[in-house]
Amino acid sequence: MTEAQVLQPLKTWSHLAKRRRKPSEYEIVSANLHYNNRDPEAPYETSPDVFMNRWYKQNTFGSALRHADWNAFRDPDEVIYRTYNLMQDGQETYVFGLFDQFNAREHDVALDAAWANRLAALFAPARYLFHTLQMASAYVGQMSPASTITNCNYFQMADSFRWLSHVAYRTVELGRAFPDAGFGRDERAHWENDAAWQGFRELTERALTTWDWGEAIVVLSLLVKPAVEEAVLRGLGESGRHNGDTLLGMLTDAWLVDAARHRRWTAAFIAQALETEGNAETIRGWIAKWEPLADRAIDAFCAELPDVVDAAARGKAATRTFRQSLGL
Amino acid sequence: MALLNRMDWYNLARTTNWTPAYVTEDELFPPELSGGFGLPATAWEGYDEPYKQTYPEYVKVQREKDAGAYSVKAALERSQIFENADPGWKSVMKAHYGAIARGEYAAASAEARMMRFSKAPGMRNMATLGCMDEIRHGQIQLFFPHEHVSKDRQMDWAYKAYDTNEWAMIAARHFFDDIMMTRDAISVSIMLTFSFETGFTNMQFLGLAADAAEAGDHTFANLISSIQTDESRHAQIGGPALKVLIENGLKDEAQKRVDIAVWTAWKLFSVLTGPIMDYYTPLEHRKQSFKEFMEEWIVAQFERALTDLGLDLPWYWDKFIADLNDTHHGMHMGVYYWRPTVWWNPAAGVTPEERNWLEQKYPGWNDTWGKCWDVIIDNVVDGNMALTFPETLPMVCNMCQLPIIGTPGNGWNVQDYPLEYNGRLYHFGSDVDRWVFQQDPARYAGHLNVVDRFLAGMIQPMDLSGALQYMNIAPGECGDDAHNYAWAETYRAMRELKLAS
Repeated sequence: MTEAQVLQPLKTWSHLAKRRRKPSEYEIVSANLHYNNRDPEAPYETSPDVFMNRWYKQNTFGSALRHADWNAFRDPDEVIYRTYNLMQDGQETYVFGLFDQFNAREHDVALDAAWANRLAALFAPARYLFHTLQMASAYVGQMSPASTITNCNYFQMADSFRWLSHVAYRTVELGRAFPDAGFGRDERAHWENDAAWQGFRELTERALTTWDWGEAIVVLSLLVKPAVEEAVLRGLGESGRHNGDTLLGMLTDAWLVDAARHRRWTAAFIAQALETEGNAETIRGWIAKWEPLADRAIDAFCAELPDVVDAAARGKAATRTFRQSLGL
Repeated sequence: MALLNRMDWYNLARTTNWTPAYVTEDELFPPELSGGFGLPATAWEGYDEPYKQTYPEYVKVQREKDAGAYSVKAALERSQIFENADPGWKSVMKAHYGAIARGEYAAASAEARMMRFSKAPGMRNMATLGCMDEIRHGQIQLFFPHEHVSKDRQMDWAYKAYDTNEWAMIAARHFFDDIMMTRDAISVSIMLTFSFETGFTNMQFLGLAADAAEAGDHTFANLISSIQTDESRHAQIGGPALKVLIENGLKDEAQKRVDIAVWTAWKLFSVLTGPIMDYYTPLEHRKQSFKEFMEEWIVAQFERALTDLGLDLPWYWDKFIADLNDTHHGMHMGVYYWRPTVWWNPAAGVTPEERNWLEQKYPGWNDTWGKCWDVIIDNVVDGNMALTFPETLPMVCNMCQLPIIGTPGNGWNVQDYPLEYNGRLYHFGSDVDRWVFQQDPARYAGHLNVVDRFLAGMIQPMDLSGALQYMNIAPGECGDDAHNYAWAETYRAMRELKLAS
């Protein structure tokens, strides 16, 4: 064996070494981490036809959304675990600082009882809505064909849990100020029965049972989340400001910081998807199929926000503007 | 108080089950993904995680943990610990990172399965944090070894190992894919978190951290003990699920999953952790023997955890305890013999002092394993190096994917445990491995172990060079004796002394 045939140390992982550029910490710890694409017959090292292997073969690798190299995806924010916690610990310090300050100045006591009743019906049940985002992001993450896409979805899952946690926290606080409004007790009933939520309920239940990875990520990122963000985060936040609820508006603004980051990776993802011929039509087909459901969700929720001018129309337009900005 | 206490709102944050209206409960939670065991969602709402943490607490604590681990690394970056480390210790690091880093990353998706598909809302939130933990463990265990890639080509395997058909990686994937990647949410909680993470990760992360600290590798010691603080939280996801199953008359189903996962985890540890603790770690840095670590972290801990829950010890417990004396010695010899096929340099670990230690920790070692090593040592001293490498194929178990081994010496007891299933003959290294197969033959029957692949002509040419090519391991990566056989000098000197007298 000659010396020339002996592999020498490289400057980085072999899979990144082919390029001349020095990889970032993000790339070193995020790129090409899934190993279930080694064998097209058996994503996982068991019988090729066990249920979960068939599931991945059909729903991840058999998805209609195709790209020769999904692993080329890069999160424009290059979020890694370490920086996620740095960033979100700071954000949480801000939000809990708000909770603390507004509590000290007895913000809730100053709220109108009628507004409190609307919060009980329109804000507190968002715990369920955000939980569906948490679940849907977890599914898309575990089915994504590239670890860089997976990570964006897992961080989004954690962000959704963050939003849910804030809602739970505020629900308890509001319940102390308005013990008769049903806070902490009636959310499930509102979520399951109120007209305001049925659009979102149908949209999210159907999105949660969309198993094809390509359709699931498109539906979640381009239809469900924009609808939630425009109607609930922006619409309800605006309504709060009209009703002396400064805290709600600041809270939804804090969530929108997360949502803006989600949209940045979504934009990068769609740009990559559109590199492959046929994907544009596929994605447009999914949008056409799901848009009516997303619109109905916005309509139903915004119908309860009469103090926000043209809430539904503006919300629907904003979701379209977002999709159009991606070339769709 | 201007801020609420955590427990004021914690329960509300995990009150998230609703009755679906536009799809059925089985559509929302498909049984094959959810593992509801026929129990309705309401049965799972009593699930109560013992380790409670909120989102704001999580990001704060984890930020601090990372700050600690990364700053120790930064502070010691110029300390030349790696350069000056004993070659045996470098092998410990290489084996660990290669077999563990991307496996941990994959576990994020197992946690995400629990998050999405468990009917227990408390589990869904804890698995959200568990998923984040596993991203951490994947990323940090890629970042730390990356520092060393430019010094040693084998360090590339910290990343690369999972993409290869290297035999030990087939075994590692077969285990992890079986217990965490291809199971429903509840089974994942039992098999990954309760059965594997409760005891075995303690063993790998705390046991090894003790050795690392002894070896002066504070970066590694600090890293893996920091990881274990996450494991000890999310490992508690499985316990309450077992409780729900037991309360609903499903103890047998629960017990079966525990028994399968504990045994298969043990087999993987016998090849991965046993040799590094008892042979690669320099003698003066060994805190305890592998067996002693196992007795402390696995045996005692499991006996307590299982009894607390009302489960039984696995039916094979006596055999397991007995095997703690033997299996990993055989695995070590196999790895050493087949050293070109691993991405680290196995330390033989058989100097006279080390043999005394082995004899003390494992009475009878010299009469059994020692006899085989005597032959290898003679061949090394005589310069008959070809005889220190294998010429034939081992028998490989169709469950653990590891060689079928026995204890050599006068009590030579190697035995194949065969099973014919659907016209194919399978081989197992023990009756327990065979029992695991029999619990769900369809799950395993279509899999080929590395020798099956060889015999099926998938490895060409059918010799060592073909095998290395199939395993994607090449000179520069292939293992050889960690100390370049320097340890044999003592035996050469002993022989010369004997001849002179």
